[in-house]
Amino acid sequence: MPRWGMVIDLKRCVGCNACTIACKQEHGTPPDIHFARVVTREVGTYPHAKRTFLPLLCNHCEDAPCERVCPTGATYIRPDGIVMVDADKCIGCRACAVACPYLNRHFIEPGLLQAGYGGNGDLTPFESLKFAAFQEGTMTKCTFCAHRVDQGLEPACVVTCPTEARIFGDLDDPDGRLSRLIEERKGWTLLPECGTKPCVYYLDE
Amino acid sequence: MQAHASIPIAEHRFQFGYYRQVWWGWLIGSAFFFGEVGAGLFLVSLWTGDLVGMTLGYAIVMVGKNGAHLLYLGRPARFWRAARRPDRSWIARGIWATGIFGASGFLWLLSQWGDYRLWTGGPATIIFWMAALSALFIMFYDGFVMSASPSIPFWHIGLLPLLCLTYAALGGVTLSLTVGELLGRADATHQSALMWGESLLLVINLLLLAVYLWLMWHRNETARETVRLLLQGRYARFFVGLVVLVGLIATLLLSLAHTQLAVRWLMIVIAACELTGDFTLLMVLLKSGLYAPQAAPVFLPSRNRRRS
Repeated sequence: MPRWGMVIDLKRCVGCNACTIACKQEHGTPPDIHFARVVTREVGTYPHAKRTFLPLLCNHCEDAPCERVCPTGATYIRPDGIVMVDADKCIGCRACAVACPYLNRHFIEPGLLQAGYGGNGDLTPFESLKFAAFQEGTMTKCTFCAHRVDQGLEPACVVTCPTEARIFGDLDDPDGRLSRLIEERKGWTLLPECGTKPCVYYLDE
Repeated sequence: MQAHASIPIAEHRFQFGYYRQVWWGWLIGSAFFFGEVGAGLFLVSLWTGDLVGMTLGYAIVMVGKNGAHLLYLGRPARFWRAARRPDRSWIARGIWATGIFGASGFLWLLSQWGDYRLWTGGPATIIFWMAALSALFIMFYDGFVMSASPSIPFWHIGLLPLLCLTYAALGGVTLSLTVGELLGRADATHQSALMWGESLLLVINLLLLAVYLWLMWHRNETARETVRLLLQGRYARFFVGLVVLVGLIATLLLSLAHTQLAVRWLMIVIAACELTGDFTLLMVLLKSGLYAPQAAPVFLPSRNRRRS
């Protein structure tokens, strides 16, 4: 059984947000819910100023605090390491959202799906189709595109990235591309002090 | 609000900076408040034998706390599912404690009000202790709910459940004193002990708050930023003004005055001050919670670059 993970090469990321849009298209997430996003920061001062980008998504942590605090078991970790939410079990207590140090949990406010992007309840066929997968009053999150991964495909954000900054693969494969990149380029994770053991690594060397 | 060390408080998730805790607001704050104060009043009244206080405390927990929780849930009809994982989740443990409190507290109140002797001896003792221990659990478990995760450094400390417990005890003592005075059925011995306890708890809470802030100031940059928000930033007038000055210092001075003057209406003022401070503390704790900024370690000088 693989343990899925991702490596994001910050030297390649140009902050185009194509991953953000690809994720939106793939999942059809409701308004203001972004499973993938790119945080932008301006560093330095003129003439040495530059913009830096940090693509973010659920880290599918090995020791996921969102899973630990969930009182219903709605949040669970698949054998391949993907952290999922069973909306049928979720009560919308938002404990997982509070517990996630990476802010990658999203609450679907009551009325959000009915209002749609237009805000007037006049849903497009795309919205009607995609929103059927969500439940109001429950939590949702990045699934590492589990439905694609199960078919042998890569997540939408990985396929879309024009600079190939995202690499998806098996973290448990010692000879795999992920393991080699992490080893050779000193991959690091976000907020290691939280002890969550994320499966998304970053490279900047 | 300008943050320290050029790290701003982010206004949205695409922006770099500290992120505010936005999920738990006034409904969860109210639920915690009603749970702490109601369970505190029930427990204190159990000790003093004040049936009215016990009933009021029970009602505050069952209606106020549970009502606020249900109003908050995205799917309230599924609330029972929250009891499924008491082995891992503090929320689940809280549901169990509240359920046990609801059942045993009801039976105890029924036996006391009706003067029933259906259960005496062993069963009565068991019901009494189940009600007392579950009330005690409700007084502090919300501190564990908040401190369980490392995501918000300001909450992730073992002192928080203790602070919840002492504040719950303070709220319980205050309400018990108020109920006793208003109904004119206060037992002199108990009232004297409770007044002494009130003053002691006010001092303890003041010290605990000071220790809490000191520990957080020295913890890390994110926790320190929260301390700044509480002492200088947007929550300073609530924390310093309502929590410390009104909720602790003014309450302490009025309590001392009350022992000399013994004016009935003064107890209502004391209760209003103390409960205002109690509720405000929970709200500012929830509102001022900050998540650490997410960025490449090279942009965060205070964080050591390390592999995980």
